[in-house]
Amino acid sequence: MKKTLSEKEVIALTNRVLAESFEIEEERLLPEKRIFADLGLDSLDTVDLVVALQKRFSITIREDERVRSIRSLGDLYTYIMTVQQEQQAGTEG
Amino acid sequence: MDRYDQVVIGSGVSGLTASVLLAQGGRKVLLLEKAPTIGGALTRFYREGVPFDTGFHFTGGFADDGLLHEMSKVLGIRDAIVPIVLSPDAAFRFIFEEDGRVYDFPYGIPRLLERLQEYFPADAAGIRQYFGMLKQVWDRTGAMELAAVLSSAMSTAVINEDHTSLQSVLDDLLDSPYLKTLVSAFCMCYGVKPTEVSFANHSRMCHGLYESVARIEGGGGAFIQAFARRLTELGVDVRCGRHVAECADIRGDAVHRFILNTGEEVELESCVLTIHPKEVLKILPKRLLSPAFVTRISDFESSCGFFTVFGVVEAGCKDDAIEKSIVSLLPSTDVNEMLDPWHEGDSALVVIGSVEDVAGVPVKTRCAFEPSFMTEVAEWTDSRTGRRSPGYLEYKRKRAARMQERMNALLDEQKGCFRLRASASVLTYRDHLHSPDGSAYGVKQKLGQINLLGKLPVRNMYIAGQSAVLPGVLGAMLSSFFVTRAVLGKATFGNILLTGGC
Ligand SMILES: Cc1cc2nc3c(=O)[nH]c(=O)nc-3n(C[C@H](O)[C@H](O)[C@H](O)COP(=O)(O)OP(=O)(O)OC[C@H]3O[C@@H](n4cnc5c(N)ncnc54)[C@H](O)[C@@H]3O)c2cc1C
Repeated sequence: MKKTLSEKEVIALTNRVLAESFEIEEERLLPEKRIFADLGLDSLDTVDLVVALQKRFSITIREDERVRSIRSLGDLYTYIMTVQQEQQAGTEG
Repeated sequence: MDRYDQVVIGSGVSGLTASVLLAQGGRKVLLLEKAPTIGGALTRFYREGVPFDTGFHFTGGFADDGLLHEMSKVLGIRDAIVPIVLSPDAAFRFIFEEDGRVYDFPYGIPRLLERLQEYFPADAAGIRQYFGMLKQVWDRTGAMELAAVLSSAMSTAVINEDHTSLQSVLDDLLDSPYLKTLVSAFCMCYGVKPTEVSFANHSRMCHGLYESVARIEGGGGAFIQAFARRLTELGVDVRCGRHVAECADIRGDAVHRFILNTGEEVELESCVLTIHPKEVLKILPKRLLSPAFVTRISDFESSCGFFTVFGVVEAGCKDDAIEKSIVSLLPSTDVNEMLDPWHEGDSALVVIGSVEDVAGVPVKTRCAFEPSFMTEVAEWTDSRTGRRSPGYLEYKRKRAARMQERMNALLDEQKGCFRLRASASVLTYRDHLHSPDGSAYGVKQKLGQINLLGKLPVRNMYIAGQSAVLPGVLGAMLSSFFVTRAVLGKATFGNILLTGGC
């Protein structure tokens, strides 16, 4: 069974996905940056981002209120922390 | 230089549908096809004057108000399509080769439900629950009725059943391994294992086939002729033997000019691609694609392909069963194994009969399909049609002989009656259909997967096709309805739905 990742690990891995998958410079990847407005992703990139994160973290991301309310990179880190803990605990399919 | 509002790439049923709808919406359309003729997997080929269908053979959705019936009406081709419905009492026959058990599927959902409970009384409660779950998916997908399906945003709205595998539902509700096999055998109609497909997609694929099953008079050729007539009426330009060699005049994340393999150049407003997603990657300008997008497409797996034998039945031979039903021979009760690329040995064998008019004389034809994958022909992947090695030809001969042996063993009436006319491997399909993997249904639509549909990262390019919404002719056509709605806007599109483009 895989272990739950620490917050630090989640942040590092998420940043790596964004850097590698969307060619965003690492130094711009700060928690307060807004994913669309500041990092330059557009709505079409969202699906690719979801697919890349699902693969990297072995999690399932479902479109729900929580996902829709993500604005900043910090929101995204928190969301992934929560989801991976939930799915580790088997509360999700 | 020629200028078009829309260029459509690929002329299978998806590309033909998109071209007609866009032209009905008042756009000036160019349809580009790599092969020498239009039609993709609808194309027929001839041996000694006898026609055989390459891909498409049968479909659901032609019941009154069925999706295919409705879409064909909107496209203005419905009158030219004559469905030949199969036996209402035994549209599908399943034979388990190990012990000779035979099960017949009638069509019509209430009758099928009743029949399955008669066959498997111990599982009756589970069967009712299983059909209850199917119904929930159908209802939430707009009961598979055209206007409702289009507005349900099936492509994006994810329901719980999208996250549950067919296998887990079978294991929860049903006991008999025969029953589980029967209700999952339609996996052959989309090429994904029960452990890998979502219950939702399986339900959507089964809906049309449970309601009614039909072959089409004149096969895929009838669709092609009907579409060709519409393209002419609507003034769509069609160019075959053409593909995009280069995207040019790239401004504001959009491509404004195509340079074709022939050197011709066309200016365009926007483009709908209806080809395999991995072929799309070869066309789009690299610098507009994020690595995430490229990885997502590259990670898509292939649905199953088929090894197929095509033949005729000697005049005077009797084989009523195959004329009335689609007959499947099942070597075991393990559908997952039958759809595994690494499986060795027999897989499910599906036999489909037809009667074709050959210069006024009725000729009975038979096609038999067995799931097959690139893994099986790996050593010959570098070869091309017409230039294959003796080893490959020997592989084909043996595979075809084994399939005939199985047909002879279980279908008494077939014995000594079948005359082989042609056979096709996944490499044959790959080369004729210009797909990367010779699969029958494009990308494997797996549990939790987000398909590639609609807008691409190039601002004026869209993707439809059988890998986008649901596989098969019905799903392929539907994908182009979704995409043209996005291109034309709801108002214009709504008008086309209402008037059928008249
Ligand atoms: C053996 C077999 C049996 C099947 N049986 C059934 C069945 O009984 N019922 C059913 O509903 N479905 C069946 N299917 C599936 C069905 O045929 C397909 O789902 C459907 O026809 C796909 O339509 P499409 O337009 O998406 O793709 P295609 O028909 O594959 O069309 C794509 C077209 O694009 C062209 N193309 C490719 N690359 C380029 C390029 N770069 N530029 C220009 N053109 C290009 C190709 O040549 C082709 O004509 C079967 C498929 C196979 C192979």
